[in-house]
Amino acid sequence: MPLASGEDVVRAVCTDKWDGERLSPSLFVGQNISVSRLAITPLADHWDLFRQYVEDPPERRLELIAQIQVGRLQSIGKARNPPVALTVEARPEEWNPAHAEIPQRITRGLANKILPALQRHFLPPHHRQA
Amino acid sequence: MNALLLQGQSQAYTLLEELQEPPEVSAVRRAEPDEIAREELLLRKLGPKGWGRVHHFRNYYASGWGENGHALSPKALDAFFRFVEVVEFPADKASPSVFLTDRGGIELCWENRAGESVQVEFTASGVECYQAASDREGLAAFEDLEQLSRQLSS
Repeated sequence: MPLASGEDVVRAVCTDKWDGERLSPSLFVGQNISVSRLAITPLADHWDLFRQYVEDPPERRLELIAQIQVGRLQSIGKARNPPVALTVEARPEEWNPAHAEIPQRITRGLANKILPALQRHFLPPHHRQA
Repeated sequence: MNALLLQGQSQAYTLLEELQEPPEVSAVRRAEPDEIAREELLLRKLGPKGWGRVHHFRNYYASGWGENGHALSPKALDAFFRFVEVVEFPADKASPSVFLTDRGGIELCWENRAGESVQVEFTASGVECYQAASDREGLAAFEDLEQLSRQLSS
């Protein structure tokens, strides 16, 4: 079921997609991009969830969480030439009931328009590892 | 290795102690003949951070990382090295960034002299590039790498 345009979704950003300066456009390139719904799980709880199930230390560490509103994502898609009708579909999983996916194929060009619209949340100090 | 193979056999000769190599030393992976030159190339063109990330992606991301990510493709890595050898990055801008992509590709992102983003992803089957200035993306074959690197040089 498609999410309402007012919902906010987040995506985990790990070491492979963030080098401390730039965000990799490949974070949003491809099909069935995984995101997570803040309406189901608040941002504060996503840190633990992503650290438990997404990061894979020592090589792959959670660096930040990127947030975007579904409506903003859709307006970016519509502005492309030709327009891309983006949707976000709820796809709950056992490890994450808030899991959702963007089923459409996102090209590198479109991903480059999404990246600047992302709100970046950096790892709170109490979540940092020793 | 020699020490392990000779164990249990009658000793026709004895290796001088100073020539013997402990097993843990002989197990270390030998560098490819051009590997040192490649490491130097990465340090010169991408800086210590870029060099470190490539090393990390090559050695610590096994198949299945992340959301079923693929291990770094040797063909993609080879194309990446060939590209980096020829391309010129602007000296007055930040060093390029290196990322590992889920399909086992390696991605380079930098800003050209005009400050516009340029991106190239090397995969097992070819090269995908994007130039923000023209908002154009395209594909290139491995044979066209040299031409592409000259074209994208700032």
